[in-house]
Amino acid sequence: MTGDGQSGDAKAVGAVLVLGGGIAGMQASLDLANGGYKVYLVEKKSAIGGHMAKLDKTFPTNDCAMCTISPRLVEVGRHPNIELLPDSEVLGLEGKAGDFTATVRTRPRYIDLDRCNGCGKCAEVCPERLPNPFDEGLGERRAAYKLYPQATPDAFAIEKRGVAPCRDACPAGQRAQGYISLLREGRIDEAYRAIKEDNPFPGICGRICDHRCETACSRGKVDEPVNIHGLKRFIADAFYAKPRAKPEPAPRRYDERIAIIGAGPCGLTVAQDLCLEGYPVTVFEALPVAGGMLRFGVPDFRLPAAIVDREVQDIVDLGVDLRLGTPVESLDDLLDEGYAAVLMAVGAHEGIRLPIPGGDLDGILINTRFLRDVRLAELGAEGARDPRPDIEGKRVLVVGGGDVAVDVARTAVRLGAGDVQMAVRGSGGKMPAKESEIARAREEGIRMHVGLNFLRVVDDGHGRAAGLECQRVERFETDETGRAVPLTVPDSEHVMAADVIVFSVGQRVGLAFIPDDAGVGVTRARTIAVDPDTFMTDRPGIFAAGDSISGTAFVIEAVAGGHRVAGAIHRHLRGEAMKTARPAGPPVAELSQKEIDARLLKGEIGYAPQTPMPEIAVADRAGNFTEIELGYSEQQAMAEAERCLSCGICSECLTCVEACGVDAIDHEMEESTRRIHVGAAILAPGFQPYRAELSEEFGLGRYPNVVTSLQFERLLSASGPTNGHVKRPSDDRTPKKIAFLQCVGSRDQTHDYCSAVCCMYGTKQAIMAIEHEPETQAQVFMMDVRAFSKGYEAYYRRARDKYGIEYTRCRISSLKEDPATGDLMLRYVDRTPPSSGGEGVPARSEVRDEAFDMVVLSVGMEVSEGVRDLGRKLGLELDDHGFCRTLQFDPVHTSRPGVYAVGPFREPKDIAESLIEAGAAAASAEGMLVGGRGTLTRAPAYAAERDVAGEDPKIAIFVCHCGTNIGGVVDVPGVACYARSLPGVVHAEESLYACSKDSIGHITERVKELEANRVVIAACTPLTHEPLFQDSIRAAGLNPYLFEMANIRNQCSWVHGRDPAVTEKAKALVRMSAARARQLAPLETDKVPVGHSALVVGGGAAGMTAALELAAQNFPVHLVEKSDALGGNLRQLHFGIDDSGTSTSLPLGADGRHLGPQDFLRQLLGEIEANPLVTVHLGTEVSGTAGFVGNFTSTLRPTDPEAPPFEVSHGVSILATGGVEYRGDEYGYGASSHIVTQQEFEARLAGQGDAGAEEAALPRSVVMIQCVGPAEKYCARVCCTSALKNALMLKRLSPETRVTILYRDIRVYGFKERLYTAARESGVLFVRYDETCKPEVRVAEDGVVAVKAWEEGLGRDIVLRPDLLVLSTPVVPSAATQELGRRLRLPTDADGFFLEAHIKLRPVDFLSEGVFMAGMAHYPKLLDEAIVHAKAAAARAAALLSQDAITTGGRVAAVDHTRCVACLTCLRTCPYGAARIAADLAGTGGIAGAATIESALCRGCGLCAAACPAGAIELKHYTGAQVMAKVDALFEDARVEEVPA
Amino acid sequence: MTAAETPFEPKIVAFCCRHCAYAAADLAGTSRLAYPPSLNIVELPCTGRVDVLELLRTFEDGVDGLLVAGCLPGRCHYLAGNLHARQRVDYAQRWLEDIGLEGERLRMINLSAAMGAQFAELATEMAETIKSLGPSPLGTRRAAGEIPTTGCAACGDPAPLLAESAHDRGDGR
Repeated sequence: MTGDGQSGDAKAVGAVLVLGGGIAGMQASLDLANGGYKVYLVEKKSAIGGHMAKLDKTFPTNDCAMCTISPRLVEVGRHPNIELLPDSEVLGLEGKAGDFTATVRTRPRYIDLDRCNGCGKCAEVCPERLPNPFDEGLGERRAAYKLYPQATPDAFAIEKRGVAPCRDACPAGQRAQGYISLLREGRIDEAYRAIKEDNPFPGICGRICDHRCETACSRGKVDEPVNIHGLKRFIADAFYAKPRAKPEPAPRRYDERIAIIGAGPCGLTVAQDLCLEGYPVTVFEALPVAGGMLRFGVPDFRLPAAIVDREVQDIVDLGVDLRLGTPVESLDDLLDEGYAAVLMAVGAHEGIRLPIPGGDLDGILINTRFLRDVRLAELGAEGARDPRPDIEGKRVLVVGGGDVAVDVARTAVRLGAGDVQMAVRGSGGKMPAKESEIARAREEGIRMHVGLNFLRVVDDGHGRAAGLECQRVERFETDETGRAVPLTVPDSEHVMAADVIVFSVGQRVGLAFIPDDAGVGVTRARTIAVDPDTFMTDRPGIFAAGDSISGTAFVIEAVAGGHRVAGAIHRHLRGEAMKTARPAGPPVAELSQKEIDARLLKGEIGYAPQTPMPEIAVADRAGNFTEIELGYSEQQAMAEAERCLSCGICSECLTCVEACGVDAIDHEMEESTRRIHVGAAILAPGFQPYRAELSEEFGLGRYPNVVTSLQFERLLSASGPTNGHVKRPSDDRTPKKIAFLQCVGSRDQTHDYCSAVCCMYGTKQAIMAIEHEPETQAQVFMMDVRAFSKGYEAYYRRARDKYGIEYTRCRISSLKEDPATGDLMLRYVDRTPPSSGGEGVPARSEVRDEAFDMVVLSVGMEVSEGVRDLGRKLGLELDDHGFCRTLQFDPVHTSRPGVYAVGPFREPKDIAESLIEAGAAAASAEGMLVGGRGTLTRAPAYAAERDVAGEDPKIAIFVCHCGTNIGGVVDVPGVACYARSLPGVVHAEESLYACSKDSIGHITERVKELEANRVVIAACTPLTHEPLFQDSIRAAGLNPYLFEMANIRNQCSWVHGRDPAVTEKAKALVRMSAARARQLAPLETDKVPVGHSALVVGGGAAGMTAALELAAQNFPVHLVEKSDALGGNLRQLHFGIDDSGTSTSLPLGADGRHLGPQDFLRQLLGEIEANPLVTVHLGTEVSGTAGFVGNFTSTLRPTDPEAPPFEVSHGVSILATGGVEYRGDEYGYGASSHIVTQQEFEARLAGQGDAGAEEAALPRSVVMIQCVGPAEKYCARVCCTSALKNALMLKRLSPETRVTILYRDIRVYGFKERLYTAARESGVLFVRYDETCKPEVRVAEDGVVAVKAWEEGLGRDIVLRPDLLVLSTPVVPSAATQELGRRLRLPTDADGFFLEAHIKLRPVDFLSEGVFMAGMAHYPKLLDEAIVHAKAAAARAAALLSQDAITTGGRVAAVDHTRCVACLTCLRTCPYGAARIAADLAGTGGIAGAATIESALCRGCGLCAAACPAGAIELKHYTGAQVMAKVDALFEDARVEEVPA
Repeated sequence: MTAAETPFEPKIVAFCCRHCAYAAADLAGTSRLAYPPSLNIVELPCTGRVDVLELLRTFEDGVDGLLVAGCLPGRCHYLAGNLHARQRVDYAQRWLEDIGLEGERLRMINLSAAMGAQFAELATEMAETIKSLGPSPLGTRRAAGEIPTTGCAACGDPAPLLAESAHDRGDGR
């Protein structure tokens, strides 16, 4: 209407982007989609529902929030014209109003929304637990999760921060967090499986890995890293302790044979991978046993041979042809034998001899050879080609300081060497071996000499080595080639005597079997040359991997290389691209020190050092090769596993992938970005609760029993972490005494606004706490009780008077915890006014210290940083707090045309008001995009309906396994068998997932083939799945009412899982459903054409706005006004809040100035006059309306008795009959010209005072009294704002004037708080009075006024003698509102305002369809609020008017008029006025006049059917026969013979 | 096994309104809160749909216990259907007591859609109550063929025994 200037653009895009899936976003989406626009609903979280879904109850009716929101969730989720985009964010919006392109980014959910059926198996098996954000951190959930049970979409999601640092550090990508989490849950087999995903050698790597994972482990930032390899070993050992199940051979898929040379860790990894891929694999091993270096390079005391053998065997059993003792002599031979690919993984087994004089003397041994000989000797006669080295009693000197050298030295000790020393060059300044191994070697008596330069081996004169001559090295210098050159200590030459010298200075690849002409290149480092991406050598089809290409490395690198080369060989053989780009993958989920400190502070992490690894005593090691590390006990392993911080959240353990029955999980899913073409955008991003931990004085986070209001809400919720039992977090005790602290993050130094909802939700929570536990004492600490809207004041009074909730008017001075009890000590000032005017009970003011069991912080609303960013990106004007600024007189329109903001994003507000704004924004968008209406929407098309009349029941039954949700508990085949035996059943079958896309199509096909005429689905709940299945039978040409569900999941398998009777129960449920199905009948629906015009009653701001909105959407409007002029209360309004300089609305004036309300009035009148679609009927009343939605006829009667009444027909009605300022005689009103109302005062200020215009000279002193007359009982919402606005205006015009406001509570909510601040700053005095101690007004004979009031600060009464007393009298319903309510039989509330269908969720609807309310007829409103309310009503009306026809019939009640005695019971019972007596119908005995039910009005509750004494009424689809058929069937003999398929 | 040896497994019916109690039962399922399988739910749009004769006929069929589960008071989706139901349950309860059945066999409960745990608790409680009361004599008599299956002589209503009794007393519905 105002601002966008785009009305009626015929080229407008008929789609709207709605951002935010909270209740406001949902409402805007529904209004738009129902009005003929395609909607893209973008939600950041994995499900819609927003904050409301978290709430327990809603004020002021204490309605269950979930009860009210969940049907809406289903409606949004199933709406054909709403496309839900969960996990998504808007990145940008380009273009202009009517034609935008939005960029939307969707984060990976890792679960395919189209496939997931919400069965929850993934969450059941997920080992990752984290604090549940939906429960505000109070409960736990898994990494695989559904936001809450009723979430839409009904699908799970996986939360992943990224790759855990441990996994990232591992060359083979071991999902360490995954197996640790599984271990923590005692799931050894699964943990073992998780290790094997990446590594075929759990037991080996659990022992000898160099575990870079532990270096990267975030736990190291707390205390010490997790002993990851120790846990891996525990898992492997525990798994191997069980009886071994031989692995199943992998199925063959390909014919190409593959040869692998070398059965070391790399060769075996490749063999495993390719075998599992389906290739025939042969492994050639020169030595008599497999394992390579694992078997021959690592001594038993570090890695027992049995472990290697076990892990090798598990690979061999997959079907690998392992040929031991078979050296490969020539590559050509292998190729000639027909191998399609050859892998060389021969390792680096050749030891190196030091090139020093005497290096080849007798008595010199080489490391690898030494260790291998020891191993071969152990194998016994058969394999022992080499004798065990004889070193018993001899002096052994090991030259070298690496891990192998230490192994050699320690082996020598065990072989009985007399003395073992190590001589180490130590160019790095120390020994390169692992610290722990060096320490153990020392324990075993080995002496080490580091920093030596080796000169020569000393000859004993008989050609045998007798010692090593060395020099001491002072330091090493690096030469130009990068080599370390020793600078020796002069004269430090000495000989280390030894009988045996073992060189352990490195290993290299044995390349003897590769002749020079083999076509395989060799590097300068004497490794095999390969392409680093493909691992192929120069010769096609010949690959190399492991140590043979890298030189000596660790096992885990051999494994990692093995996986890569296996992939390369597979791609080579399949002719796929060899060089594949690796996906970027998720980021590393390293925990920063800050995050860790935060978790420490919250107590989520406690200090616990690494669990020490038990080992055998040094004394027990000599002379044997027994393994030194003993491994963790179960208890130790669990303790160690508990230390894992689960950095990645999801660890990709893949348990969910195994559990998912519909293949919905995809851990590789990536973020995606799409561009969406829309005509408008509605932003409803909602609020962020104030992070009260920032206000450290309240102790949130430090004191467990201090909770936020949202946490308390979850504690109250029946579906919350405590099942609705309020418990203290510290000790689970029920709190008996609870303090509610208001205005936490509102109305303070950093928040110059009121969050508008906290007073009411605090009151609600206090009430609910008492409802749960009647003994509870609740005390609310607040400044003003802002119970400013419909029903709020009554709610607050009920809380105070009926529930005994104590309201204390102060901010607390301190809050401390008693550490012994967890109780909280509050210090505050308790001030009580005297009970009446200072004469009764005296006033009190004292400092009190009081203990509470629990403190609830009523946190305010903020705009999150993310939303501010978005606002900036979209080019919107935001205020200092990030709230979105909107246009004056178009309160939902942002600074950018075509972009609307609703809900707390533009000002803190509650659910109902957010919904109203959502409707208003929808109306504005619809008006702007009217040319695109219906261009992008679609209506579902169904097959022609088959006439089943006269057919016997032919029931088809589908019994769903729901994966294992039902099938794992209930004998589903048995139930299907049984179902076949039931009368009328022609077919019954099982379905793995009845709701999967395939199954839905299958059901349609089966129903067609079988010509079934009834369908029963035994599966989950009809509340979510009935419409889906009904669609499937409609597609088969069946009437949707020939359908019935048996809920054998939620009401059987999930709740009787352990009961042996569970299958019998499922059968009973199916029997009952089949019995009802036999009774079902097709129901007809009618299409009644809709009259596309509207009647708007009331020509004030709301009525005119509603009329213009509808006209903008091309709907003709009859605007009826009783008086002779349009304008209503707007005529009396001279100053806007904007004039006070405290508003955040964007000025509309051409010069950038705010316009006055009268400017707006002129604008409205001009638009009305100019709009040909609006027909104005001045001086006219509505005397009656007949008909129903889409087809109303109203009689309009001119007030001029001369003019005849006339009729107009219309599809909808909007009643905007307004309210009026109360004029009663309270406080002497009418007794003196010095006493006026606010409206009168405003007129005077505007210089438009009527009679006494000349004495309108501004008064020098003014007193205002708030809450006058009826406002003592209900808060009229606008009076505080009006009073402050006028006071500020007066102060501006006359700064010297003394203004005193006598008030009960200053109820300026939202940004209107700033008026209060501005008023105090400008010197307005505020004096509070209590209702027990009201001000007294005396009018002297000369009209002079005296006001007496109690002044709290002074502690006594004061008397004021103002020039003018202004009474803030409330808005009361207009006579027209009350009269119209009576005439049209519309309900009003106790105060006389129209009663909406639902105070939260349907704030503009009447219960009667097609009738809406707008403006002050609903409740007093500020101008902005009235405009928004009127627009919202227009949106609701437009949704109906844009339909061609409305559907009636279906599940409605019908009267058998021949049984009707016209007793009128149905008329009295029906809540919707759908029953009436039709004179043309004959009742019992042919008496004229019988009841009939207007199916367009009937909602199908069946109250009339149950109430009818004559039994003349039946509710279709729930007839007596249909309902009782189920009950009867329960008692039919269950033992019917089962019929096999 | 003879009847005497078979442990008594009650048959309980729960008329649940679709909007609240049925949703609560669903939530009990979603939350895996166990209760005995003796309870069988019959879904209705509103508890206000069920009339006194249907309540009595359910007992005649042989049910051992009957729950009528509606929305919380004041929260009926059709304004006052649950209050109508409450009146009818109270009325039918008096009838049951008049013919010598325990009134506890019929009970009205009110739940919101979020009260899954409470649904499971109440279902368990009802099963225990009925177990302690033992089988309904009407069920036993029906099983023994003592209750005629023909309609009421007075009105032809297919609920013979209790309805006839009601007609005898002249206050029918």
